[in-house]
Amino acid sequence: MKLIKITDHLWEIPKTGSMLVPGRVYASAKMIEEMREDPALTQVANVACLPGIVGYSLAMPDIHWGYGFPIGGVAALDAHDGVISPGGVGYDINCGVRLVRTRLHFDSVKPRMEQLADALFAKIPAGLGSSGAIPGLSIEQLKEVVSEGARWALHNGYACERDLEHTEEGGRLAGAAPDRISARAYLRGLKQLGTLGSGNHFLEVSRIDEIYDSGLADALGLELGQVTMLIHSGSRGLGHQTCDDYLKLSVGAMARYKIILPDRQLAAVPISSPEGQAYLGAMAGAANFAWCNRQIMMHLAEQAFMEALSITPRELDFALVYDVCHNIAKFEEHSVEGRKRLVCVHRKGATRAFGPGHPALPEALRPLGQPVLIPGDMGRYSFVLMGLEAAMRETFGSSCHGAGRLMSRMKAKREGGGRDLRAELKALGVTVRAHSGAGIAEEMPYAYKDVAEVVEVMEAAGITRRVARLKPFAVVKG
Amino acid sequence: MSSKTNNIQTEDAVLFREFEHTGDLGIELAAPTRAELFRRAAIALASLLVETANVTAIERREITVEGEADLDLMHNLLSELLALFTVEGFIWREASVIEAEQSLRITLRGEPFDPARHSFRGEIKAVTYHELMVENSPEGWRSRIIFDV
Repeated sequence: MKLIKITDHLWEIPKTGSMLVPGRVYASAKMIEEMREDPALTQVANVACLPGIVGYSLAMPDIHWGYGFPIGGVAALDAHDGVISPGGVGYDINCGVRLVRTRLHFDSVKPRMEQLADALFAKIPAGLGSSGAIPGLSIEQLKEVVSEGARWALHNGYACERDLEHTEEGGRLAGAAPDRISARAYLRGLKQLGTLGSGNHFLEVSRIDEIYDSGLADALGLELGQVTMLIHSGSRGLGHQTCDDYLKLSVGAMARYKIILPDRQLAAVPISSPEGQAYLGAMAGAANFAWCNRQIMMHLAEQAFMEALSITPRELDFALVYDVCHNIAKFEEHSVEGRKRLVCVHRKGATRAFGPGHPALPEALRPLGQPVLIPGDMGRYSFVLMGLEAAMRETFGSSCHGAGRLMSRMKAKREGGGRDLRAELKALGVTVRAHSGAGIAEEMPYAYKDVAEVVEVMEAAGITRRVARLKPFAVVKG
Repeated sequence: MSSKTNNIQTEDAVLFREFEHTGDLGIELAAPTRAELFRRAAIALASLLVETANVTAIERREITVEGEADLDLMHNLLSELLALFTVEGFIWREASVIEAEQSLRITLRGEPFDPARHSFRGEIKAVTYHELMVENSPEGWRSRIIFDV
């Protein structure tokens, strides 16, 4: 793959063949050498073929080979003439992360970290053959969840108003169309509200072990030694099925709209088409399910903390710092070649990272910018970043989303063969609980890139700034 | 629907092999006939979801899928089977296939998934179209499938 160096941290894939715009990849020189032959770069070029794409087909430094879109890809499509690609959002619609802070210091929790891990493991279902967190939930209630998002959690005693203010879109994406979600998708989601899922989804309790910007950390209520919690999960079976349904519909409809693409998984339909509008309504509904899902898990985790540590809500002071989604398509206004345009930004394994002053941010955060939460590899560290002004000019207000895989799941399992992985994590100071055995080997820290290198690239490129680093000590895996 | 039935018994271990894909789960299958290829794909999916050694063949389910090309048939078959597991909680260890040009009927034998007895291997979100391949070569039928996990 031919790459032109733009800066030390930005590389361009020149426009060739049926590409409508060039590709741009954020990476260090070392990373770009490692990914030069990676199929993910071909996928960046394939995305550049989507009708209506503007600016660049972008890739963040945690890019890896996905299906259709690369994981770590960002593409803005003209809201009027562009297309929408269900595969460009992904199966796990609104997969995302929330960060919760507590009033606890690590020193007071350390002696009881095993009990805390046990309590979290017992309280938060993985959703695999279990009855879910809310037994008896009806399809009608699930339709309310799809319409209302995290607000449903508020109305049903799983949230407070402040939680919603600190959630992207207030925890509810407008335009949800419950009747555009299939009966099968509802059935898949019915027992999964308030459940973690498997794969790379996890809950991580950490301590803050490094502060990079004390002003921003103060403003977010973060300090050294403080105990925090990250939840990484998404829209579960309801979202997976919704993507599957509309991918199939898009594959069938593309010929009618004379759309020809290099990869079937990229299948896209015009935003303005009936199929495009139906998908957007269904996608918003699945995104709302995901916000409600993470909100309910936060509520369950709060109970686990109180029980395991025998403390009151006041002593715990569980407060949502922010909740971000990293698989979504959203209509936003961005400046393209000096002109304001309404675009549909597809973020597939990428996080919104709006800079200070953006009107979409809640009042309390607006002067600071948007917190960007980057989960690590459950062993080394995770990061809290803040969106900067340059993100608005260069990346459609987007940044990276995680460490990015280095090894296939198969290779990771091979590496783990014969090793005591729980003991290895223990040596890193992490106690782990897992619902499925294979999960640990596939998700071991060595299977991932060093997330520190990923966030350093985004900082060097001026897109996001590091605020704090979180060191995990108790992890629950699906 | 007419034509051939295929219910050759083969050891699950040699039915498919996993291949390297950075984020997801890919499998490769080979079979002497088209019907056997679909049958092996069905058994492969069950054994990716659950350790099938403890699954007993006490209940029977039948599914019919359609598709213009073999690629669509494979995608539709596996998607329907994934839904059978995720929605109805049914897991199977035996399958037989009756094929036609643009459809196939699969009969499965298994039982309701029971987390206490069946070891769950990990969630599969979907069957992707990504690099999906079904072909008839001089050596027989082959397929490559990538699942999103």
